[in-house]
Amino acid sequence: MASWPESPRLIGTSIPRLDGLAKASGRAKYPSDIRPEGLLFGVLLSSPHASAKVKAIDLEPAKTMPGVKAVLALATAGESTIFYQGQEIAAVAAETEEKARDAARAIRVEYEILPHVATERQSAAEGAPKVFPTGNTRAARAQTTGKPDEAMQKADAVIEATYELPVITHVCLEPHGLTAHWKGPDSITVYASTQSVMGVANDMVENLGLESANVTVLTDVMGGGFGSKFNADTWGIAAAKLAKEAGRPVRMFLDRAQEHQLGGNRPSAKAKIKLGAAKDGKLVAMVAETSGTGGRGGSNFPLPYVYKVDDRSRAHTEIFVNGGSARAMRAPGHPQGCAVMEAAMDDLAAKLGINPLAFRLANLAEADMVAGGVNRTDLYKEQVERGAKLIGWDRWKPRGQNGDGPIKRGLGLALHQWGGGGAQDKQVACIINPDGSVELRSATQDIGTGARTILAVIAAEVLGLEVGQIKSNIGNSTFPPGQSSGGSTTTPSMAPPCLDAVEKARDELFKRIAPGLDAKPEDLSLKGGKLLVKGEEKATWAQACRKLGMMPVTATGVFGPGLASTGVGGCQFAEVTVDVETGVVRVKKIVAVQDSGLILDMLTWKSQVYGGVIGGLNYGLFEERIMDEGTGAMLNPDMEMYKLAGATDIPEIVVDAYDTPEMRVRGVIGVGEPPTISTAAAIGNAVANAIGVRVPKWPMSPMNVLDALAAAEGKA
Amino acid sequence: MKAFEYSSPTTPEDALKDLAGPGTVEALSGGTDLIGRMKDYVASPDRVVYLKDVKALAGIAEKSGGLEIGAGTRLVDLSADPIVRKRLPALHQATVEVGTPQIRNMATVGGNLLQRPRCWYFRNGHGLLGTKDGKSLVREGDNRYHAIFLTEGDALFINPSSLAVPLIALNAQATVVGPGGERTIPVEKLYQVPKSSDDRELTLAPGELLTKVTIPAGEVKNGFFEARQKQSHDWPLVAAAVGLKMNGDTVGDGRVVLYGVAPIPWRSEAAEKAIRGKALTRETAEAAAAAAVEGAKPLSMNGYKVALVKTTVKRALLDAAGDRYWEEA
Repeated sequence: MASWPESPRLIGTSIPRLDGLAKASGRAKYPSDIRPEGLLFGVLLSSPHASAKVKAIDLEPAKTMPGVKAVLALATAGESTIFYQGQEIAAVAAETEEKARDAARAIRVEYEILPHVATERQSAAEGAPKVFPTGNTRAARAQTTGKPDEAMQKADAVIEATYELPVITHVCLEPHGLTAHWKGPDSITVYASTQSVMGVANDMVENLGLESANVTVLTDVMGGGFGSKFNADTWGIAAAKLAKEAGRPVRMFLDRAQEHQLGGNRPSAKAKIKLGAAKDGKLVAMVAETSGTGGRGGSNFPLPYVYKVDDRSRAHTEIFVNGGSARAMRAPGHPQGCAVMEAAMDDLAAKLGINPLAFRLANLAEADMVAGGVNRTDLYKEQVERGAKLIGWDRWKPRGQNGDGPIKRGLGLALHQWGGGGAQDKQVACIINPDGSVELRSATQDIGTGARTILAVIAAEVLGLEVGQIKSNIGNSTFPPGQSSGGSTTTPSMAPPCLDAVEKARDELFKRIAPGLDAKPEDLSLKGGKLLVKGEEKATWAQACRKLGMMPVTATGVFGPGLASTGVGGCQFAEVTVDVETGVVRVKKIVAVQDSGLILDMLTWKSQVYGGVIGGLNYGLFEERIMDEGTGAMLNPDMEMYKLAGATDIPEIVVDAYDTPEMRVRGVIGVGEPPTISTAAAIGNAVANAIGVRVPKWPMSPMNVLDALAAAEGKA
Repeated sequence: MKAFEYSSPTTPEDALKDLAGPGTVEALSGGTDLIGRMKDYVASPDRVVYLKDVKALAGIAEKSGGLEIGAGTRLVDLSADPIVRKRLPALHQATVEVGTPQIRNMATVGGNLLQRPRCWYFRNGHGLLGTKDGKSLVREGDNRYHAIFLTEGDALFINPSSLAVPLIALNAQATVVGPGGERTIPVEKLYQVPKSSDDRELTLAPGELLTKVTIPAGEVKNGFFEARQKQSHDWPLVAAAVGLKMNGDTVGDGRVVLYGVAPIPWRSEAAEKAIRGKALTRETAEAAAAAAVEGAKPLSMNGYKVALVKTTVKRALLDAAGDRYWEEA
C-alpha cells in the first residue's frame, strides 16, 4: 500500500492556485480568447422552432455574403427532425462575428412546423402531441421495499405534500465551444473549453477520420463546465470542418441563448411524498410518486435520500418535452432528491413538534458504511453538531415564532452525500530536467477546481521544493492519459499517479547522482530546496540536478492502492430572512460542513465549497428555465431574466472542513459535487421555518413565497 | 445586427437634423437598451444617432426653485446630486436601484424614460403586444412579470422606466423638441397604451427629442419603495413613489404612482383619494394600500403582484413619513 507523506509540509495547507493571478488580472487566455493568425469566426444557426421537420436548407445566400469563407449544413433537408428550440441547423465561418451572424440569418430554411409540448404540464395533457412515437412519458421501474401502506397505518403523524424544482441550466460563464486550427492536411490542434481534452480528441478522431497522433486538444484554463462539457459537440466538429474548407482556423462558441437552449440542463423534479413517523420520531413509511423532465432524456433522482425508511415505495415517471436535453450537472440527481426529501423531513418534524435537527439524527441508518470501514452516520452526527454550533442553532424556534414584524427570520438544515472516488487507470509523467526545472504532464484538465495546483503541491512536497517551482502541464490530450473532470473524480484519479510519478522520478534522480556523491541512493533526501546526504546538506536542488548531465529523469506514475477513497457526507445550515409583505428572501448565512478524506490544498478545497454553495444558493433562490407553451421557446435565455446571484446576494458563507486524522488516512476524495447538493434544501427549510408555511416550489422567489402564503391564508 | 448609418452630433440642432431621417432612426444614449435590441434584431434601424456628445443635454440645474434635469444626464450623476439626495429622496432612491454601477455609469435619464418594454414576448420577436396568429401569447403564456391593471386590453406589458414613477409623483414636466418647435408635457404624457401592434407605447413622434425634465418648485414630501427579487442587478417587480403636498400635518394633494403593474406608469387615483386630507399614519397608509388594488385584474400567473401593490404603496407613503417599519433593527 502506498501512502501520503506522514508529516507533510505543504499538503493540507492553504496554497494559492498557480494561475490565480493570471485569472484575476485577465491575463489568462481562455479557449475563447485564443486568436490564431487568420482566425475566422464561426456562428451556429439554430432552429427557432421547438418541433419541426426540416424540409429544405438553402446555404447559397450565406455563401455569397461579404467576408463569408465557409458554410456547412448540420441538419439534413427532408430528414432532420427538430426536437427543441436551438437545435443545430447550419454553421458559418466569416471574417468577423457580425458577418458570420448576418450570414447565418441569410440561410433559408424551410420548416414544417409541428405541434410541441414545452412544459411538463403541456406534455402530460390529454391528446398532447407526442415527443416520441411511444408517447410523452416513460415509467421507471417502481420500487417497493417492505410494506409501506401497512406501515403507514401505524404512523402517528403523516404528511402528504408535493414539492417541485424547475429545470435549470449550467450557465457556464464561458460558453461551449472551441477553436479549430489545422496544422496540415491531416493534423489539427484544437483549443477547447472542455472538461475532457481526451473526450474532445476522441470525438475529433472519430468524426474527422484522423489518427489520434495527429490530434492535439489544449485546455489551459476554461470558464466552467459543471458536467456539460465532455465532448466536442456538433458545433465543435463543425468548426473543424469549416476550418478545413476555409483553410483558416475557426472559432466556434455558442451564444448565450444557445448556451441555455442546447448546452445542457439539470432536469426538473416533482415529488408527491407521503411520509409517516411514530411519536418517538422514527420514520415508519414513505410513499413517493415522482416525475421530472430532462427534455428527451432522463430525470431520475435518488429517493429516499440519506435517511432510513424501511417500508417504502417509489414510482418515477420520465416526462419528455420539446426542450434541450439534460446533461450531467454538478451532482446529478442529488440536489433534487435532497431538496424534496429534506422538505418532507422538515414538514414532518414540524407536524410532530420535534426539533428538525434531532429528528434527522434519529433517522440515520445505524450503520451507513462507506469505503475504508467508515460509518457515515458517525460523521453526520459530528458534522451536524459542528454546523449547529457555527450557525447558532440554539436560536432555533418552531415555525410561526420567528418575528412579530414583517421580517421573519428562519433557520434550516439539510444533509447530503456523494461518492467522489476516482478511476484507477490514469497516468502522470514527471520530468526532472538537468536545469532543475520540474514538469508534470497529464491529459487531465483544470476546470477551475485547482487540479493544476494540486498536482504541483504533491510534487513540491515530495521534492522539497516550492509549489511555484513545479510546471504543472495539464490540459493537453497528447500527454499520458488523464481523467475527465466529472463526478468529483479528478483529484482522486490524478493525485495517486502524480505521487507515484514524482516518487519514481526522485528515486531515479537519487540513483543517477548518488555515485557521483560517493553515496548510496538510500542515503539521499530532499528538504527545503536542498539535497541531503545522510541528513547533511550537500547541494542545492539546482546543483543536484545539474549532475544529471544532458539526460533528464522521466517517470510515469500509475494508481496505487491506499491513496484515494470514496464516500462522503456533509450538512449545510441556512439562516434567512423573509419579508412576508414582499415575499423577498434574503440568505444571511450559510454554514457548510464537509468531509472529503485527505485535503491536499485547503485554499482550493474551500474555493470548491464556496462555489458549490453559491451554485446551490442560485438553485434555491433564483434559477429557473422558463418555457413558453405557446411558442415552445425559452423565454429567459439570457443572464437578465434568468436570474443569478450578484455579489450583494451572496451571504456570509462559513466553510468548515471536516478534516480529522481519521479522514486524512482515507486518502483523497473529490469535493466538486457534494457542497452544492444541500444548499437549496437548507434554504427552503429556513424559509418554511421563518414564515411558518412551506413554499413547495423552488426557487424561493417572491412569486412562489407570496403564492404559498396566500394559499395558506386561503386554507386557514 | 443590421448594418446602420451612425451620426454623432454635438448640438441639439444637429441632433434634430440627424434624427429626421431618412429611414428608421433610433437615438442612442447609454446603449443599455438599444444595443441589446439591435443585437437581437428586435430593432434594426437604418440610422443611429448618438446623443452623448450633445453636451447641452446633460446636467442638473436649479431654476426658480425647480430642478431641471437634462435628458442626457447619466444616472450616476443624478444619484450623486446633493439637491436630489436631500429634497427628492424618492427620485434618488429609484435612481440608485437601477441596474448596476456599470449601467448607471452609462445610462441616462432620457434613455431610462424612453427605453422599450422588457416583455419577453416583445424581446423574443413577437411584437409589442406579444401576439401570434392574432392571439395573445402573454395572456395564455408566462405572464408573471406582466400587468395587473388595464388587462382587459391587448397591451399587457409593463412600462419599464422606474424613474418615470417618482418623476410623475413629483409632477415633473418633459420638454420635447422637434421639427415643429418645443413643447412641454407632463412626464406621464410621454406614454400611451397602444391599441394595436402598429402603435407605440411612447408618444414622441419620429424625429422628436426629449431634452429635459423639470421638477416644479414647491415643497413635496416624497417617498419610494421597490420590491425586487435580487439585491444586485434586477428589475423591480413592483415599485411605488409618492409625492405629497402637505397642509400642515395632513396631505393636501398627493400622487401615488406605481411601476410594474400596467403598460403605463400607473397613477392610483383611488389611493390618492384615500390619503387626501389625512395625516400620514400607518392607518392612512393601509387604507391607501387597500384602495390601490381596487380594479386590479391579474393575469394567470401574477396574482402575487396584488400583494406587492399593497406593500409598496404602504411603504412608499411611510417612507415619506420617515416610518420605515420594515427595516431590521
